[in-house]
Parts: sequence; structure tokens; C-alpha cells
Amino acid sequence: MKRFQKLYKTLILLPFAFVLGCDDFLDVNQSPNSPEKVPVSLLLPSGLVGSAFANANELNRFASTTMDYLYGAAGGPAAWDIYNTDGANFGNQWRFEIYGGALTIYESIINSEEAADASSYVGIAKIMKAYTYSIATDTWGDVPYSEALKGAANTQPRLDSQEDIYKGNAALGIQSLFDLVREGIVALNTTSTINPTAFSDVVYAGDVARWGRAGYTLMLKLALQISDREPALATSVINEVIAANDYIVTNAQNLSVNFGGSVGSQSPIYTYNNISLFQNDIMASTGYVNLLNSLNDPRLPIFITAPTGSYVTYENGFTGTLAPVANRSKWSAAITGANGVGPVKLITNAQRAFMLAEAALILPGVTLPAGQTAQTLFEEGIRASMALAGVTAGNINAYVAANPAVVTLAGTVEQQRAQIITQKYIAGTGNGLEAWNDYRRTGYPAFAEHLNAVGIDGKRPRRAQYINEEVQRNPNFTPVVLPNVNVWWDVN
Amino acid sequence: MRRVLLLLTASLVLVSSAFAQERTVTGKVTSAEDGSALPGVNVVLKGTTSGTVTDVDGNYRISVPADGGTLVFSFIGLTTSEIGIGSRATVDVQMASDITQLSEIVVTAQGLERDERSLGYSLQSVKGKDLAQRSETGLLNTLQGKLSGVNITGASGGAGASTNINIRGVTSFGNNNQPLIVVDGIIFDNSTTNTNNSLFGTQPSNRLNDISPENIESLNVLKGPAAAALYGSRAANGVIVITTKKGGTTSGKTEVTITSSVNWQNAFGLPELQNQYGQGLNNDFNNQSTNSWGPAFGGALTEVTTLQGDVVPYRAFEDNVSGFFQTGRIIQNGVNIASGDKDKNMNLSISSTFQDGIIPLTDFSRNSVQFGGGTKLKNGLKFNSSLTYVQTKQGGVTQGNGGSALGQITRIPRSYDLLGRPFENATGRSIYYSTTQNHPLWSTKYEQLNTQVDRVFGFMTLAYDIKPWLNVSYRATADTYIDRRQLSLAIGSARAPTGQIQENLIYNSELNGDLMITASKDNFFVEGLSASVLVGQNVNQRSSQNVGADATTLTIPGFQNISNGSVFTGTFDSKSKRRLVGLYTDINFGYKDYLYLELQGRVDKSSTLPEANNTFFYPSVSASFVPTAAFDIESNILSYAKVRASWAKVGNDANPYLTGTFFVPAGFGNNVASVTFPLSVGGVSVPGFQPSSRIGSRLLTPEFTTAWEIGGNVGLFQNKLSVDVGYFSSSSTDQILNVAISNASGFDTQTANVGEMTNKGWEVEVSANILKIGDFQWDISGNWTRIRNEVVEIIDGVESSTIPGNSFIGISPSFKKGSPYGVIIGTAYTKNAAGQRLVNPATGAYVPGTPNTVIADPNRTWIAGLTNTFSYKGLSLSVLLDVKYGGDLYSFGWVDLRSNGSMAITAADRDQPRILDGVIDNGDGTFTDNYIQIPAQTYWGALGGLASEAAVFDATTYRLRELALNYSLPKSLLSGTPFGDVSVGLSGRNLWFFAPYAPGDPELNTQGAGNIQGMDLNGAPNTRNYGFNVRLTF
Repeated sequence: MKRFQKLYKTLILLPFAFVLGCDDFLDVNQSPNSPEKVPVSLLLPSGLVGSAFANANELNRFASTTMDYLYGAAGGPAAWDIYNTDGANFGNQWRFEIYGGALTIYESIINSEEAADASSYVGIAKIMKAYTYSIATDTWGDVPYSEALKGAANTQPRLDSQEDIYKGNAALGIQSLFDLVREGIVALNTTSTINPTAFSDVVYAGDVARWGRAGYTLMLKLALQISDREPALATSVINEVIAANDYIVTNAQNLSVNFGGSVGSQSPIYTYNNISLFQNDIMASTGYVNLLNSLNDPRLPIFITAPTGSYVTYENGFTGTLAPVANRSKWSAAITGANGVGPVKLITNAQRAFMLAEAALILPGVTLPAGQTAQTLFEEGIRASMALAGVTAGNINAYVAANPAVVTLAGTVEQQRAQIITQKYIAGTGNGLEAWNDYRRTGYPAFAEHLNAVGIDGKRPRRAQYINEEVQRNPNFTPVVLPNVNVWWDVN
Repeated sequence: MRRVLLLLTASLVLVSSAFAQERTVTGKVTSAEDGSALPGVNVVLKGTTSGTVTDVDGNYRISVPADGGTLVFSFIGLTTSEIGIGSRATVDVQMASDITQLSEIVVTAQGLERDERSLGYSLQSVKGKDLAQRSETGLLNTLQGKLSGVNITGASGGAGASTNINIRGVTSFGNNNQPLIVVDGIIFDNSTTNTNNSLFGTQPSNRLNDISPENIESLNVLKGPAAAALYGSRAANGVIVITTKKGGTTSGKTEVTITSSVNWQNAFGLPELQNQYGQGLNNDFNNQSTNSWGPAFGGALTEVTTLQGDVVPYRAFEDNVSGFFQTGRIIQNGVNIASGDKDKNMNLSISSTFQDGIIPLTDFSRNSVQFGGGTKLKNGLKFNSSLTYVQTKQGGVTQGNGGSALGQITRIPRSYDLLGRPFENATGRSIYYSTTQNHPLWSTKYEQLNTQVDRVFGFMTLAYDIKPWLNVSYRATADTYIDRRQLSLAIGSARAPTGQIQENLIYNSELNGDLMITASKDNFFVEGLSASVLVGQNVNQRSSQNVGADATTLTIPGFQNISNGSVFTGTFDSKSKRRLVGLYTDINFGYKDYLYLELQGRVDKSSTLPEANNTFFYPSVSASFVPTAAFDIESNILSYAKVRASWAKVGNDANPYLTGTFFVPAGFGNNVASVTFPLSVGGVSVPGFQPSSRIGSRLLTPEFTTAWEIGGNVGLFQNKLSVDVGYFSSSSTDQILNVAISNASGFDTQTANVGEMTNKGWEVEVSANILKIGDFQWDISGNWTRIRNEVVEIIDGVESSTIPGNSFIGISPSFKKGSPYGVIIGTAYTKNAAGQRLVNPATGAYVPGTPNTVIADPNRTWIAGLTNTFSYKGLSLSVLLDVKYGGDLYSFGWVDLRSNGSMAITAADRDQPRILDGVIDNGDGTFTDNYIQIPAQTYWGALGGLASEAAVFDATTYRLRELALNYSLPKSLLSGTPFGDVSVGLSGRNLWFFAPYAPGDPELNTQGAGNIQGMDLNGAPNTRNYGFNVRLTF
């Protein structure tokens, strides 16, 4: 029995000893599933694809419907077709494509341990961060910026005004988007031991010089966007871009994100338009087809399908019975990319030409490079777009020769601006956000309001309403700003 | 039952020995009622501590003084007898039931056996015979209506579909709220694993479905933390302690029991549909429309052309929806062989279940074999073990809105001949009225998720009595399974037009070791005071893995192997491992038979919390008092009374890996368009990562639930009527939650300790013998529960948050400050201050709705169950009625059928204009009743569609839940046959219901077991089951 007494005393004490001395046993909380660090080469492609989604997924369908590229036959696009949009829209875009997508990825690159040796990655990240922020502010107006992307350090960032985001505000610690791009360009020109490759750079396959061109062209776009509100600042930035003489000048230099041709790798425009359950929610609009027809534009049959041999489209806002889905005119492979490879075109050479043309037209202080005028740039833009669309050089020349009224700027400044924006609109088919930005800024193309329009006031939305989730989570987002309120740069 | 109690107690009773021996008396104790031997009866020489207990045959032997003396025979539940010995050498005694005592030995936490009267908390027991042979394959479903404080909701009548159970409300915002399940001491995994988005996948089983209701001996529900604290961190949700059928209760005899049943089931509670109008819109036929707003039947239109160009008659196909569902069939068979006595016993049990579901080509099967036994070695070491192997298979079809059979079945126009025409062409593609969707029969055939679970669980215990008052035991348990799943969507599937094969392998394992040392003493310092102390240690490890591969763009039709894919995305591997070491104690005092006090405490050290915070302690205290015993109240009215009270705190650790912030493979988009890295771009595979959407926390602390309860139990009229009333209140704080944060932070959620949620509730149980005339007896047993949950606080600045899981944008199952957990936040009708709906004067339809509003609360106002049992000789009839009062169901199915013109109500006066209920804003603060007439189609559409308040229905339901008629053949008839017992029965479930505010059966819960409740998102309907059974004992 003594033996047992000893045993049970030991047994009683044993568990205490075990509880106190089991640190190794309990040291199993390191995740076997996910790394806590990844190299920048694995972050860049995700960020670029995230920016492409922000531009080309739901916001694009909204803007393309609003801007008469598309007719919304059902679902979300049908609501946007009559200007109905509210805080239930674009949650995924804000949450998982912009802030919790591309932006937080770029931020991870900029703050990574590798950053000092990977300044080319940092440069790309800063340029694309500025581009992606421009989508956010152009769409929603005032948005979190200087306090955003700080993770646990600030879970309820304040809103910065769109003016401060574009122009910067030292007192509030807000860096201007222009300075962000400038920093990016400086970083690109800094010696870097870790550089992008075809595996990580789905835009330029590692050609860092082209990223510099993209950076300057982005500055041009940002400057022109605020040109009516801040002409002096816009003029100086545009002159800085022209002086640097390092912007996109060929179609091959387009800032466009490449996708793959297989399921799970395809561009969102293609997936939605060609594969998804919702593919019949969108189709070509009558307004768009009429516009291109009125200009005899050779891009119409390239951009829009005609399964029955003629275009089957509807006027935006139409509510009657629709033709069978098989007969409807839709975006063709020239817009969606064959098999979904894209690319998703964020900034193009044609766009650059139109932007410089417009800048020269409306900003007297802008000094164009020698030999260039608004007219030469306008024609250059049309030619670049047609070439990108696959119109042969001969056919382009023939078109230009046969349609002098289309390719020649004429009339008042406003009339010429309308011509430029209209051609920019056609060239930008598939990039609804830029068309919506230009429309809000300039009022062109001067489309009529949609049939049966509802919205807030029966007019095209001037912004998107803050998403419900953000309003719920961040007290800085009250009160509600409705979609009929102009953003800061929208002076029209 | 008493016989079992006696045996259970026999091993517990501890008596001091040693007395001057003068002579020996022997005898046999038998039952006054049936003369059977009573083992385990205490036999004590009065005025001394000398005593013994009777053996399995009721025999005892005791030393007594040479002259005289009195023996006291006692056992819980029996009237104590005092018998003078005189000079006799043999004293035989008959003992009778003590109806005033109303007492039973019950199994509590960690297998501790306690006198029911000593419990300071509520514990409810259900006997196996009340669960077996109830036309049901899932154990949780058979508990419906039988327990107070417990809410049970089945996902649907789909074969093997999961069932949600919450005891005393939910306590955690985002973690598992299902109770802990303990089967024969084994912590038993009851998770419900969705491998697909739960809005669109199948309805997988909860893993308690691996146990057949036929194998249950008894089931105890430990409702509050005070009852459950010894099980540690997972006890905040309550515990269900299941004891399966075992050997060792048959006094050495070998008993073979065979059970067999066959049942049928039908889809039940489908809404009534109209048969006057066919496919189309605005009274025009349209062969692609999902609507039935077309022309009336019997008019000019007699023939129409289908999308395929066939000319078919234009008429109602009355059964095109109901006929889609087939008659399901459940066949259950079981053999149980039990042998031995309490020291040496064995048990072998084999059972099988086969079910063909109501949806074509769905099934469920379960085959299990269990072997167990125990022995007491000569040196006194007791050894027990059991091992079970079960294989469970489930074949289901994908469900959910759009792109599935059940997503389409609410969109079948009334004139569409769903069942009479071919649904696939020669190349295996769907033939349907829509080009983007598939025929439901095509979907059931070609969009399947098949699962096979192979599970092994078992335990081993070693116990030794070091001293009569000191016992040490060790119990090791293991529960492990592999769940293999294949999702196969054929080429042409709406959700995966190029086809998809998805393979999943889910491994889950839990190991537990418990060392328990128990010391107990009667007459501890004071006469009549008994004390016992338990010290235990628990080592726990849980590990799991989920590996999957996904192939799309299939090439060979019908070849269901992942090698058939051309594109491979979504290959993943997710592992987890967590460990916990706990130390616990239970200190128990009892004074005489009326005052009891129990103190418990547990320290846990968990791997999942940051090291600085990973050790945490939580205590509980409970007490009970029995005035009828204390004051010797002898009354024909008040036979028994007890009051109880307890307070407890339970700590809980985090899930694994919440302390870190990680990077994950990148992906963008949703079901409209998506990419998943690695991308294949121009023949190059491009890998990509992104920060995970969650920020981890190195500051996590344990979460705690604090609860108290009080209650009382009275037995009246010699316990013919027993009433038990309890009140409980719990508060859960410092919840570990992935809190939704501003997405502008770059993240979606942050893990943190936040918030407070309370549950308060009443539980009432009543049982009564209403009538007893000769052999006829009518008993009732009822329960009533009312629980109020409130989200008191989430985190500063956060008013509401979406429950983690899958939900549709704009229809968010949420927790919102000041509201009960689980409310659904969506778009409500816009109303004026008086609560009247506002109508747009331009259209006669409602003005746009108000988003971010609570539109539905799935929590029941109260629930109740009432079982009536009528018995006459061998015949017994048990009828269970239950009521679920209040609570809402958000139904896609019903609102769809209504707005698309299929529901019967939409055909009434369809040619007449209608006026929506509401008012028109005059713009000057006054309102005019809406007067604008709109057509029926506009009216029913204007009420609202899937994402609107129109989809919310009051789910109040009165139901005939269960009916069981049993006949046991009289023993006289069986003499001369090998049978000891033969009984046959009929049973039925869900035979009738009345839901006054719903067009169909509201007991639907598409997403199954989990925290999101109260939504019918195009899942399977409920069923009515009925069948017969037989039970033979050799």
C-alpha cells in the first residue's frame, strides 16, 4: 500500500508540473498555411491585376452603361441604365479591388524589407498607387488617403478632400498625387538590385523605362482632370511632363494589364461579357452605334458584334421586350480581348495624344513640343486608336482622307473640345471610367439623358455613393453624399 | 431504469470497514414490485459505520454483533427499510419505490455521477427509447421539441442535411455556437464543413449524423456553464453527453437486440401554386420567361412554341414543381449484442442506414460497427474501452440562387412541362426554356457533390481504487475522420460552363487524455456531511487539414476525374493544430439528503493565445436545497421540493493562428468575374500574393462567459405532477472576433477582444400523469422556453457587423447593438413617421427602399413542446406537438414564386387592378392613402423581390412533430420462442403543421448548422416522414 501512496502523491503533483512546464508542447501556433512575409516579386502582379479589376470590373460596367457604351438589359446594369446607384453598389470594388486590393498591395511593396534594394518595384508601386487612388477619388470624391492603408494603426482613417489629394496639403500631412508619381519616377531611376521580370510585371514584362513613361503620362492625366478647377497647376504639371519628354508615344507603350486565356486568369470584361451567368445583362447601346455610324467610323464593326448581320441594340433606358440573346450586339474581342487575355487598357497612347491636344486647346500656358499642335495631336490620337483596333494603315489613311470634317478640329474652343472628347470617347471604348470622368469634367460627348431615367434627379450620376459597409464601419463617412453631388474638380 | 441506476451506484458507494466481528448475516434484497434482485443496495448496521452493498444478484453478507442489531437498507429512489435482525442468520428484504423521493442518479460533466437532487443547475435527460425509431436519420432532429432551453432547426429535408442546435442562445459573435458533444466520454466533433460557398453549395451533414439515433442509451443536456465547466473552454455553449448502448447491464446474460425500420418521406410544406396562367409577362406568352404572368389558360392561346422550336399545348402542368420531388426512403437496421456483468462485459453493435432523398439522385448512408467492453482484473484494476468505425456517405446536388436545380425550381412557369419532356439532348446538354440556366433534372444528374466520411472514435479508461475512498483513473479518447468530397459540374453547368471537378480531402482529429483523482468521504468531520474532491488534468490536441484541387475546362464528357481538367486553379492546403492543457477540480459537499454545495475550477493553458495571456482560470459554484427532506414534509399535496442556484464563469481560447497577419494567394472578383493566382499569362505562370484581409493581434486574451441560474422543482400529488422552472442569465465578454474595420485601412477585419452579448431566459418543464384507469395510462411531458438575446456592445463606433460566413450583398445576417444576435439587415420599405409605407405617386409602386435596416429577426419569441403518451398494456402511443412562436424566415423561394406569378395568391382576381398598401407623401407633412391602381403583375412585383423586406415572413409554426405507436407483444405469447421481447411500431414525423403567416413550411435554414439562421435561399424543402419498425430481443 505504501508503494501506492507514493504513486498517488506523484500522480496528484504530476499534472501541476505538466501544466507549468509545457511551453514547448504548446508552441504550435505558427501558421503552416500562410507566410508572414513574401517577396515583392509576388506582390507586384497581384497589385497590377487589382488595379485592372478596379478599372475594368463593376465600375466599368456602371460607367459604360451610364456613358452609353452599353445598354443595361437586366440586373445591376439595368439599374444603372436609369441612373439608379446607391451605397449597395461597388462594395467589392472599394473593399477588395481598391483599398483592400491593389492599394494595400502597393503599400506592402513600398514598406517591404526588400524596398531599399528594389527601388524599381517601389517606383512602379508608387505610380500605380497614384493611379488607383485617382480611381477612388474620381469615383467617390473625398476619400481616405493620407491616413489610409495603415492597418491596425488606424482602423478609421479620416477623409481627405479631393482637392488636397490632388494638390497636397502640407499642414494636414497630405502628399499630392503628383508628388507621389514624381517619387515613383525618382525611384525608377534609382539603382535597383531586385527588378521586375516577365513573371512579376504583367504590364511591361520588366521594362522599367516604360514605367517611367507611364508615370509621366499619368501626371498628364491627373493634371488634365483638374484643369478646369486649377488651370494654373494643371498647366505647370503638363509643361513639366512635356519638358521631361518621357511619356507614352507608341501603342506598344500603353499602360495595359495582360491577362490569360484560361478560366481563372481572364480579364473581368471578358468573363462578364462572355462567360458569366450575367453575360446577357449587358449589350451595345443604340446611342453608341449611332454615334460611330454618324462618323462612318471603321472601328464600329471591330468593337461591336452583329450576329444577325445588323446591329441589334437598345436605347439606354428602354424598358420593352428584348430580342433573343443570341441576336444581340455586344462588345467584341477587340474590347474584351480574345479568350479573355485582355489587355485591360488603363492609359493609352491615343489617350495621351487627345489629352495633350485638349491641354493645348484649353490651357493657354501649355507649350507643346516643337511641330505639334492640337490638330496634329488630335489626328495622331485617332490614328493611334484605329491602329490599336486593327484598322490597317491604308484604311486609316483612306478614312482620314474621306472624312476631313471628322479629323479636323474646327469651330469654337468648346466645339473643338467636343470633337476631341468624342474621339477620345470612341478610342476609350471598354474604359468607361475615363469617359465618365471626361463627361463630368467637360459635358462631352453630349449624349441626351436616358429614357425613363430615375436616379436622384433624372441626370447622370456625378459620383458614386459611399459604400454601405464603409459608412457602417467608419464614423468619418457621415452624412450621406448622394450621387447627384459634383466632386471637387467637376465645375460644370 | 432503476435497475441501471442501482448498478451504476453500486460501484460508487463507499463504506468504511472494520468492526468487531461476532457473527454473519446474509440475505437477498428484491423489488417489492416485480420480485427482481436489487443490486447496489446499501446495507448498514444501524448506529455504526459498518456496512456493505448487495451484489448483482441482490445478495449481501454482513458481520453483526452477536446479539440483536438493526439493519438499514437504503437506495436512492426506494423507501429505506429498517429491520431488526434478532437472532436470524438470513434477512431477506423487499424494497418498494419511494415516490416522495423523486431522485435519480444522473451523469454530469466528465462522466461524474450525481444524485439529481444535489445539482445546483439544470440538467435534462432523454432516454434512448424516446429517440429511436422516430422516422429520422439525424440524432439532433429526434431531440426537437423534447428539451427546454434548446433550439434545434434542421437545414431542410434534404438527405443528410445538417441541423443547427443552440443551447440557451448563442454566446459568441463569430465562433462556433454549437454545444460540445461528448459520446461515451469522447469529445465528438460535430462540425458542419462547407467546402463550397454556403449560399450555393450542398447541405452537408453535421458530423453528429455519424451516430445513429438507434444506438443511444441515454442523452443528457448540460445547459449552462456551471454544469459544463469541467469540460473546459468549449462549455460556454452547453454540452450534450451521450451514452451509447453498452453491455454490462444484463447480469451476465447475453442479450441480442435487432432493430429494423423502413420509412418513406415526401417533400412537404410547398406553397400552393396557381394553375390559371402560364409562362410570360404582361399577359403575353414568352418562351424564355421565368414568369407566369402570361395569358390565362383556356383562352385563344392553345399551342405555343418552345425555345427548341417544338409546338406544345399551352396548359397548366399542375405537378411540375411538386412532381420534381420524389418519394424518399429510409431503411435502418441494427444489431446489438451485449453481454456480461458490471465487472466483465462486452458489447458489439452494427448498424446501417440507407436513405434515398426526395431530390432525385441524392442519398445518405451510414454504416457503423462498434465493439467495446470492460474488465476488472484480479489486482483491482478496471479497464474499459470501446472503438467505433463508421462510414457515412452523402450524395447531394448543388443548391442556391440561380444555376442550380433548387435555384430553378421556384422559377418554373406554370405552363412549362418540366417532367414530361426530355431534359437533355444527345450530347448531354440541358434542354430548358433558358439558355443560361439548366433544367433542374439535368442539374440533379450533372451537378453533384458526393462525400464519404470514414471515421474512427474510441476511448480507453484505466481505473484503480487505491483506497476505498481514493480512486485514480485515466481516460484517453480519440476521434478522427477523413471526409473525401468530389464536386462534379458537367460541361454546360450554369455555374461552370466549361465544367468543373473539385476534390477535397478533409482530415480532422481530436485527442484527449484525462487523469482524474477522486477522493470521497462520508461523515466528514460532521455526522451526515459527505465530501468528495476530484482533481483532473486534461491534455487536448485538435488538428485538421483541408486539401483541395480544382479542375475546370473539362474535355471528356462524363469522365469525373480531376485529370479531365485543362485548367487547374484553386489548389489549396489548409492545416491547423491546437493544443491545450487544463487542470480542473470539483469539490462537492452534501449534508444529509437536503443540502448540497459544489465548487469547480479549471485552469487552461492554450496554444492559440499569445504566451503572455495563454493561461486562464475560471470557477463555478452551485448549491441545492431540498426543503421537503430538510423539514420532513410529508404531504399528499407537496411531495417534493427543491431549489437550486449556480454561478459560473467559463473561459475560451482563440482559434489557431489568429495572432499573426499573413499573406495569401491573391484573387479578385466574385461570381460575376474572378481571377485566382497563379495566373497563366501568355503561357507563363505568374504567382501572386496579397495581404490577407485580416489583421492579427498579439494582444488577444481569452473570452469569457459568465452565467448564473436559479430554479426550483416541485412534485405534487405524490409526484403525479412535477414542475421545474428555471431562469438563467449569461453575459459573454471579450469576444475574440474578426471585427469589421474601415476597408480604407487596407484590411477588412481585425482580430480583437470586443463586445458583450447577453442571454436571459426562462425554462419550464412539466410532467404529469393525467389519467390512470386500470392498465390505461395517459402521461404528458412538456417544456417551454423563452430566450432573449441582446448584443450589448460591439466596439466603439461600430453599430453592427455582418456574421462571418457567406451572405448576399444587401442581405446581411448581422449582430447589431441593441438587437438580438442574427438579425438580418437589408432594404426595408421606406415608411413615414407613422410607419406607413410610402408610395411613389408617379408609378403607384413603393418609393426606393431604405437600406441598412433590420428587416428580419430569426429568433423565436418562445418555443414549446408537448408529448402525450397513452399506454395500455403493451400498446403505447406517443404524440409530440411543438410550437415555435415568432421569429422570421427570409425566403428567396416564396418571394420568387410570388413575384413571378406562380403562387396561388397571385391568380386571384388577376385581371383586376390592385392598390398597394401605403400612403402618398403630399409634401406638406400630410399623407394621402394610396389610391393608384396598378395591374396584378406590377402589384406583386412592386411588393419587392429577393433583396427586400417582401422576402420576410413570420415563421410561427404549430406542428405535429412526431408520432410513435408501439406494440410490445405480451410475454405470455413469447414463452417458448427464443424472443425475450418483440415490439412493432409505426412512426411519423412532421405529419401536420400550421404556419398562419407563411405560404409554406417555414422550418428551412438553407445554410444549415452555424451562426446564420432564418434564411431559405433556394435550398431543399422540408419533408414528411412515416414508416414502421420492429424490435426483437433474444
